[in-house]
Amino acid sequence: MAGALAERVFAEKLGRAGFIDVWVGGHRTTSIDEASLYPLFTDDVIRLMRQTIPPERHDHVATAVIVKARKPEAR
Amino acid sequence: MAKDLMFQDEIKDSVREAYGSISAGAGQAVATNLYSEEELAELPPGAVDWALGVGNPVRYAFLEPGEVVLDIGSGAGIDTILAARRVAPEGKAIGLDIVPEMCERARAHATEAGVAERTEFLEGEMERIPLPDASVDVVISNGVLNLSARKSRALAEIFRVLRSGGRISLADLTVEGELPPEIANDQSAWAG
Repeated sequence: MAGALAERVFAEKLGRAGFIDVWVGGHRTTSIDEASLYPLFTDDVIRLMRQTIPPERHDHVATAVIVKARKPEAR
Repeated sequence: MAKDLMFQDEIKDSVREAYGSISAGAGQAVATNLYSEEELAELPPGAVDWALGVGNPVRYAFLEPGEVVLDIGSGAGIDTILAARRVAPEGKAIGLDIVPEMCERARAHATEAGVAERTEFLEGEMERIPLPDASVDVVISNGVLNLSARKSRALAEIFRVLRSGGRISLADLTVEGELPPEIANDQSAWAG
């Protein structure tokens, strides 16, 4: 999660890479409780998240999205 | 620059170690949030136990029979197997993962699912995809791009391997606003 981009930055990077028709959808909020289901989040990281992220954001620490785009046809 | 490159390598090593050391995925609790009953029925139970994704990129990819699909960070093979079923009988799904243990698991799950002949699992990095230019119709991934410390490089590689007109369907995490520095600078927080 520490490497996650903002949605706008993600879309911009795709554009800079040459992709077109960038679409972002399928938004799904991710809470600290949900993150704790993943074994990749160690107990220490989950504890750190609960301690350092404001309580009002615990139910929405990240957003899972689907990003679609297309490589242009060759001319 | 040297320090940045070291940081990138440390993150890569940290991610590889984290994914190589876990003994199971997030399991049914996560899988049932991401996949329909019908999709889960297409998968071996062992693969479902290894669910580690954040979305359902195959559902949004609208795969067609005959297409070649690359699944970046294929893990234990869930999305690769689903993709292989959608592109049958002539198409193929290629999984790419930096963790050799995951590639082994994915091969076993693909065999169990009966799609071994339409899948291939390669060990490698998303920033250096071991495939030729323009060799893939669709690239999918699930919760993986956020793990890269060199995202622009990874996207350039995806662009390179896609054929003209090819498409991507990537599930990933996004974060609005700043994460606390204690988390942003924690190497283990990169793996999750």
